[in-house]
Amino acid sequence: MTDSWTRSLAGHLIDCGVEPAEAQNMAADAAAEAEIAGTAPESLYGPALAYAATLARAARPVDGDPLDRATGRVLLRLDGVSKRYRRRWVLRDVSLTLRGGEVAAVVGANGSGKSTLLSICAGATRATRGVVQRTRRVGFAPQQHGVSAWLTANEHFELFGAVEGMNRSRATTVGTGLARQLGWNPRPRQIADQLSGGTQQKLNVVLSELHRPDLILLDEPYQGFDQESYVDFWDQVYAWRDAGAAVLVVTHLLHDLQRIDHVLELSPVDDA
Amino acid sequence: MTNLRQQWLHGFLEMCLLSLLVDGPDYGLGLSERLAASGLGDVPGGTLYPSLLRLEKQGLVSVSWQHSTTGPRRKYYELTEQGRRAVRELADSWAHFRSSVDTLTMGVRND
Repeated sequence: MTDSWTRSLAGHLIDCGVEPAEAQNMAADAAAEAEIAGTAPESLYGPALAYAATLARAARPVDGDPLDRATGRVLLRLDGVSKRYRRRWVLRDVSLTLRGGEVAAVVGANGSGKSTLLSICAGATRATRGVVQRTRRVGFAPQQHGVSAWLTANEHFELFGAVEGMNRSRATTVGTGLARQLGWNPRPRQIADQLSGGTQQKLNVVLSELHRPDLILLDEPYQGFDQESYVDFWDQVYAWRDAGAAVLVVTHLLHDLQRIDHVLELSPVDDA
Repeated sequence: MTNLRQQWLHGFLEMCLLSLLVDGPDYGLGLSERLAASGLGDVPGGTLYPSLLRLEKQGLVSVSWQHSTTGPRRKYYELTEQGRRAVRELADSWAHFRSSVDTLTMGVRND
């Protein structure tokens, strides 16, 4: 006996990235508890959509002790990096050494050069002064670009996978798996233009990770993310890190300072 | 004030649930009634059951379904050995924290 609330809960749980079989079990459990309490599930738990998000978060495995681990080789080194546009300095003397298995957060007010720094790390912008050394395999998720409005998620995976020499089925399997980890279940015929801003940003993040890069650079990836999946994003960051990648994230909001290895705070450069 | 209570409960609910389970296994509705009886008020199902799930995922409680003679089968929650250790540590650090807050707020209370 399944009512529509319970079916809807299972569906939303799957959309939140819960494995389908476990989602069915969780929904059945919720229905059984409501039956014991002698109430309708809706009045016990509230709307299925909101409850699915809460439940999916509760079901996520607990994080271990992240800082107690060995780190790998240096994958990104910045030494005295400065950038000037015409006569205006936007970055002054930035240095950072980032190893495999580490997370760096770049914070700072608007206009402090965060996006410029990321672009320099990615090799898309040249530093005016200083030295940039980076590993060859870099994944980069800039704020807006990189998603094609008329392609579906799978077509994106195939296209970006092909660049890295992945075959179609491998690219779509890996892409779908990564998307699920971000709490997004891509629908087969939905083109990117029909996705919400937050989901487009997730697609962007998945594409940056498709070829298992050693160094992952992310620019404000949560900006379009909804509040609930902000947490998913950081789970994903720590999963990449635990898999040995170095992750550099530009962020406004520091989720958990203790779990971040390097915090690079940029301040607007004085035009002195 | 209701809002403030809810925020506090959010922080302490898992410790309260573990404490209730020290005496023995119980099921969701039973725990909910005992929380209400202890003066914490009605805890919404949308808060209670995710907390129980979190305790289960952390390995602090184990669950089993048991048939009941009078109604539908019930999901029972029981402290694991790890849960027993965790609740002792939580209770200790809560006692310290509470006494600090008590010291600070003692002089400004109405009652």
